[in-house]
Amino acid sequence: MTVLILTCEEDVTADMVVVHLDALGVPVVRLDPADLTGGAALSGEYVHGTFRGHLSAGGRLVSLSGLRSVWVRRPGTPAARAAEPSAWLTEESAQALYGMLRGCDAHWMNHPDAAHRARHKPWQLRLAQHCGLPVPATLITTFPQAAREFAERFPDLVVKPVSGAHPQDPPRAVPTSRVAPDTDFSAVAFGPTLLQRLVAKRADIRLTVAGERMLAARKATPADGDPDDVDVRFAPAATPWRPTDVPPRVATSVRAYLREAGLAYGAFDFAEDGDGIWWFLECNQSGQFGFVEVETGQPIARSVAEWLARPGPERRSRVNGRNTTVP
Amino acid sequence: MQPFALNYARPAAELKATIPYAYDSGLQLNVLRDGRIAARDHALLRELGTTTSTAGSKTHFDD
Repeated sequence: MTVLILTCEEDVTADMVVVHLDALGVPVVRLDPADLTGGAALSGEYVHGTFRGHLSAGGRLVSLSGLRSVWVRRPGTPAARAAEPSAWLTEESAQALYGMLRGCDAHWMNHPDAAHRARHKPWQLRLAQHCGLPVPATLITTFPQAAREFAERFPDLVVKPVSGAHPQDPPRAVPTSRVAPDTDFSAVAFGPTLLQRLVAKRADIRLTVAGERMLAARKATPADGDPDDVDVRFAPAATPWRPTDVPPRVATSVRAYLREAGLAYGAFDFAEDGDGIWWFLECNQSGQFGFVEVETGQPIARSVAEWLARPGPERRSRVNGRNTTVP
Repeated sequence: MQPFALNYARPAAELKATIPYAYDSGLQLNVLRDGRIAARDHALLRELGTTTSTAGSKTHFDD
């Protein structure tokens, strides 16, 4: 049975997993929904109480009943590269592709419904609290006065986007940034603002979970680093990522988090304070992992590949009895 | 009328390096000009930064 990978061509991180799947002898079909209806195609038939569906991409044809797993990595916007793209065609293509895939029995990493919910950072914070993970004091508000009062209670604050998205018109990045004590919070009225107590961290932690496998990496905060460089993504790479152990209590909470979220994969960001406590910052349901693997040598791609390669689900019915498709 | 968080925005960094690999639909992998598989060259990936948490495209924000 085949692993379906939904991602764009330039996704070299997905390549790291494809290499392992190839080594395992597991058939792979890599499809970018943006290529509908040019380089990718689909068909599904609902007749006499049964369903037969097929996808093709790059000259490969696969039956939906022949999928053991679906990995949603970095898929393009459906039909974005069609000869005559439109919002309508994108919606039609998205409904057709993801609607049919939702009806197959394959394992998902991650299921689109779970992924959609898991992207909401306010929801993440609450789930983390429920699962026993320490969460820094956080306020999300459009009330300037609430922001001022929060800043009085927690004078050392950071601000970060609620969604994690970066504005595109023009393209800008919004790193997690320190907020000065005398800041004017009037502009909080113009958009939901996420303020969080700054964790005096001695390290950043990236904990990547693929199925049951947990792989944590630690990046020490330089003693002589700029105190305003609070976002490890944008700070100078003065110290390397190194493998580290996961405290048992954290591991238990993280498993609960993923179970509750319905996620097979998650990349957790923590800030480790001076007492060694891992403070939950966020969980990226499709977080990058290549940069950790190339620096630490941790077998993250192999772990993802092994999860995707697990035996396929029990079939509800036999759909394709002829040997005309990728097995 | 600018939202508070955008007071902290900075211009988006573009990848400076030219990507020395291209997608091979037969292999379903990106391949270097000399035929090697790009994903096997970790030193190159580290240098290019194409697997980092800020290398996501405009359409994805799962860093």
